[in-house]
Amino acid sequence: MAITQIEAALPGLVFHRPSPEAEPFKAPGDAVAVGDTLALVEVMKSFIPIEAEVAGTFKGYAAPDGESIEPGDVLCEIEVSE
Amino acid sequence: MSRTITTVKPGLQTCVQELPGREGFLEQGFPLSGPFDAWSFRQANILVGNDRDTAALECQFMGPTLTFDADMLIAVTGADMSPALDGAPIPMYATVAVSAGQTLTMGFAKTGARAYLAVSGGIATEPVLGSRAVFHQAGVGGHALIAGQTLPVGVSETSALYVLPESARPVIGTDRVWEVEALCGPNDDWLDEATIEMFFSTDWQIQTKSSRTGIRLTGPDFGFSDKALNKSPDHGQDPSNIIDHGYPMGAVNLAGQTPIILVNDAPSTGGFINPFTIASAAFWKLAQAKPNETLRFRRVDRDGAAALRAEIDAKTKPEILENA
Repeated sequence: MAITQIEAALPGLVFHRPSPEAEPFKAPGDAVAVGDTLALVEVMKSFIPIEAEVAGTFKGYAAPDGESIEPGDVLCEIEVSE
Repeated sequence: MSRTITTVKPGLQTCVQELPGREGFLEQGFPLSGPFDAWSFRQANILVGNDRDTAALECQFMGPTLTFDADMLIAVTGADMSPALDGAPIPMYATVAVSAGQTLTMGFAKTGARAYLAVSGGIATEPVLGSRAVFHQAGVGGHALIAGQTLPVGVSETSALYVLPESARPVIGTDRVWEVEALCGPNDDWLDEATIEMFFSTDWQIQTKSSRTGIRLTGPDFGFSDKALNKSPDHGQDPSNIIDHGYPMGAVNLAGQTPIILVNDAPSTGGFINPFTIASAAFWKLAQAKPNETLRFRRVDRDGAAALRAEIDAKTKPEILENA
């Protein structure tokens, strides 16, 4: 089992949930399918969904909710299923 | 053979832009739109033999993946989004001949924020209100690219390959600090003297909520002059309120205590003061600066701004090209 780090491609603010009151997109231990939304990045007054390009098990967010990120920063980790 | 480009992946709000933009409708609320970094935009066009103001693509933060349906010349300028043709990296600021069926991929911006892709013959979408420039937020002149969309391309006979000399290209630094030339006015007399000094000596941080409409800045509070504090109630309640007036392009618009630089897709009128105006020659820096980077304003007068503008103008003419 390999851990894949999902890196930010956009500069902006990262959000773990679709709206302030909602549950996070993923919690540690959740299954991840290709195309699942993992987080939102706010840039240019738009919220851009960050979608999983690998399937596996969600390990957790690395970038805190609501904080600013730069391209290359690790957003979250996924344990990739073989 | 159709002369088109097919969108495989759209990128982030990739839009057709054209100069001079949608002129003549400001009083009806239509902004000029057009390329945010006109310097890079024009250089991309001259590299493919187009008139420098021809419609081309503006890519923002994350570039598109496009397939060319005919042979044509392309050039990529501005932010470095690692452009690659069928997987092989291609140089920026150079003419590249592409064949029908080839695919251009662009990734996220490693330096800067906006890249320009020009094609020989230009993007030939239907003009709306006299321009092909897209005002994406309002859907005027079209919208940002979507997957599967095809773009018509104009006819071109050119086959010359050029390189743009390094000395004529805009320099996108890596220190995350931008010196931006600005003029006082039109409403600097609504601020107190200390605040005018403060504006030109502060490190302003670019907020994430910045776009082609406005660049929002974080910094110290503004202090106001008697003109703002003891005014006719017609002007509104807040010291930064003024009876509705026209907004110049590049105005530093003060909404309460938040300065917002009004750029290509900005509203043309409103009820806040504009104490400073960014020199048009510095717009490209606003286009290439990313959220959380720093702006420092350097005071120039009208002659200084005109000289800067002339300098960039000379660097966007075909005479500067070198044969590849």
